[in-house]
Amino acid sequence: MHSYIISGLHVSSELELSGAIPGDAHAPIDVSIRRSVVPMTLDGATASGPTWEMAGEIFLLRVPRLARFGITAGRDIAVEVEPGVTERDAACFVLGTAFGILLHQRGALVLHGAAVAKGSRAIAICGPNGAGKSTLVAALCRDGCSFITDDICAVGLDKHRQPMVLPDGKHLKLWKESIEWLDLADRQVEAVRTSLEKYYIDPSDVRGQPSPLSAIYVLCEPRPSRKAGINAVALPDAMQMLDYESYRPAFRVKIGRKPEMLAHAAATLGHAKVFMLVRPRGFEHLQETVMALRAHWDSLER
Amino acid sequence: MKTPGGIVWIASFPKSGSTWFRIFLSNLTAGENGPADINNLDERGGIASSREGFEAVTMLDSGLLTCDDIDNLRPRVYAAIAGDTTEQRWFKVHDAYTLTPNGEPMFSSCGARAAVYLVRDPRDVAVSLAYHSNTTIDHAIKFLNSTDAALCRERKGMPPQLRQKLHCWTGHVSSWLDQTDLPIHTLRYEDLLADPIACFSAALRFAERPATPAEIERAMYNAEFTKLQRQEEEKGFAERMSRTAPFFRSGGAGGWRDKLTAEQIARIEGMHAPMMQRLGYELSLVPRSATANDQMTAL
Repeated sequence: MHSYIISGLHVSSELELSGAIPGDAHAPIDVSIRRSVVPMTLDGATASGPTWEMAGEIFLLRVPRLARFGITAGRDIAVEVEPGVTERDAACFVLGTAFGILLHQRGALVLHGAAVAKGSRAIAICGPNGAGKSTLVAALCRDGCSFITDDICAVGLDKHRQPMVLPDGKHLKLWKESIEWLDLADRQVEAVRTSLEKYYIDPSDVRGQPSPLSAIYVLCEPRPSRKAGINAVALPDAMQMLDYESYRPAFRVKIGRKPEMLAHAAATLGHAKVFMLVRPRGFEHLQETVMALRAHWDSLER
Repeated sequence: MKTPGGIVWIASFPKSGSTWFRIFLSNLTAGENGPADINNLDERGGIASSREGFEAVTMLDSGLLTCDDIDNLRPRVYAAIAGDTTEQRWFKVHDAYTLTPNGEPMFSSCGARAAVYLVRDPRDVAVSLAYHSNTTIDHAIKFLNSTDAALCRERKGMPPQLRQKLHCWTGHVSSWLDQTDLPIHTLRYEDLLADPIACFSAALRFAERPATPAEIERAMYNAEFTKLQRQEEEKGFAERMSRTAPFFRSGGAGGWRDKLTAEQIARIEGMHAPMMQRLGYELSLVPRSATANDQMTAL
C-alpha cells in the first residue's frame, strides 16, 4: 500500500502514483484508491456523457482502451485497467480527471490551473488546456520559483479563512517541444503515457506544503482591443471568472455544489485578486512573460 | 414553422468561406441586435474540432489521449451535444468526411441531419492558405495536393484544436459530396460572392431554418466584408491564424490569376482537374499528372 498527500488529502493507494507526494502511512485516511471491478454502466444513472455516468454519489469514468474509474462520495476511487494496459498509463487519469471529480464531490474550490510559490506566497495560473500553463510554470521554476501544482489547483481555506494552494504532486507534465525549448531534458523523468510525447519533469524545487494564495492570473492572448499586459479584474467579473476557470465546470454544476463553491470563491477573493495576463503565445515570448509576471507579483507583495 | 433540431455541418476545406457563412448565421440569430461580434459568434455551435468542447463533454484531458482514441469518441461527443437540445445547431467542420479508426462514420451517426458543403476554387484556396498560414504558395499547394493532409497533427506539443484529417483538396470535396449518409447542399464560394442573398436563402431552405427575406437581408448587410474588416481592425479576430496578416483580407474570387505562376497553376490543375471541372471551375492549362513531390508533403 502506498501513502500520498494529494491536494491536502491523505491518500492510501494500491496503485503506485509515481508523481504524487509521499504521505504519512499512519495519518487518518481521507481517500482510498484501490484496484477493483468497475462496471461498464451504472444502474439508475441520472446524468451521463460519452465517457461517464453519474448515479447519486457515484461517478463512473470510462477512458477507452485504458481503464474505468469509479469515484464515490469524495473518498474512494476504484480502478480497473483494461487487459494489456499498465497501471502507470492509468495513473495520469487517477491524478487528473478522477481526482478532480473527487475534489468536486467534496465541495472543494478546484481551479483548472497550475501554481508556483516564491517566498511564503503563491500564485495560480489558469487557462484552458493548451493555453501554456505548464510551460509558463516550468519557466518560472527555472527562474527560481517553487513548484506547487501543474493541472489541478485545489484552493483550501485555513482556520483564518485564508486561501491556501494545495500541492497536487511533485512533477509537472510537459510536451517534448516545451522540454526542448526550455532545455529541461536532464530533468525529464518518464513519459506520462507510453504512447505520448509528454513527460513528467522534476522541477527541482517542490513546495509540498499548502501556501497562501496571493493572486490568480488567467492567461489570454492579445487583440487590438486587448493589449498585452496584466490587468486587474473587477470583483463581480472575478467571481464569474473563477467559476469559468474551475476544473470541469460542467460536472460541478451537475452535482449541484455550485453554491458551496461560490461561497468558497468569495472567501478566496477576499485575499487573492484575479488578473488577466494578456501575452502573445509562442516560446519566443516566454521569457518576457516571466519577467512581466515576476515584476507584477513582486509589486503585490510590497 | 419550427426549425428541425439536430446538427447541420458547415463543411469545407480551409479557406473556403465557412467563416463568412458562420458570421452570416450569427447575424441572422442576432437579428435587430446585430451586427454580431466576430469574436463572439453565436451560430449555436462552434467548430467540430474544438478541444475545449471535447473536454467539456467527455470530462477527459484530450492531451492524455491519442488522436485515434479522440477520433473514436468524436461521434459520441456530437451525439451528446445534439441530444442536449431540441434546437438546430450549426457546426463548422474542416475534417474530410471520414470513418473513425473503429470504422464508424465520424459525422453521420451522431444526431447530424445534414451538411452544407462550401467549396472554393483550389487556386484561390492556395493563395489564401499561403497568406493566412504565413507560408509560401508552393508550400500551400503541396498541402492541397497531399493525400494525407491534416490540421493540428503535431504530437510533440498540443495544438489548439483536435487533429483533423483532410486528405487532398479533391479527396476532401469527394469525401463529402459522394457520401450517401447525410443530405448535402453544395455551395460554391464564387456563387456566394456573386449572389449572397440567393445562396444563403437556398442553404437555409435546405436546412429548413425559417427566415424572412428582410431578416436575411439584414444579416447579409451586417456580414458585409468591409464591415468585418472594420471589426477586425478595431477588435482583432480570435480565429486568425497569422500573427500579422488580417483574416478578412480580400475575400474575392479569381485573385489567383495575378498570384500564381503557370507552373503553380499546372500543379494544382494537374492534381485536381477532374473535380474542378465537376464543380464548374474552368481550367486554364492542359491538365497533366501531379508530380510525386506534390503528394508527399503536408504543411
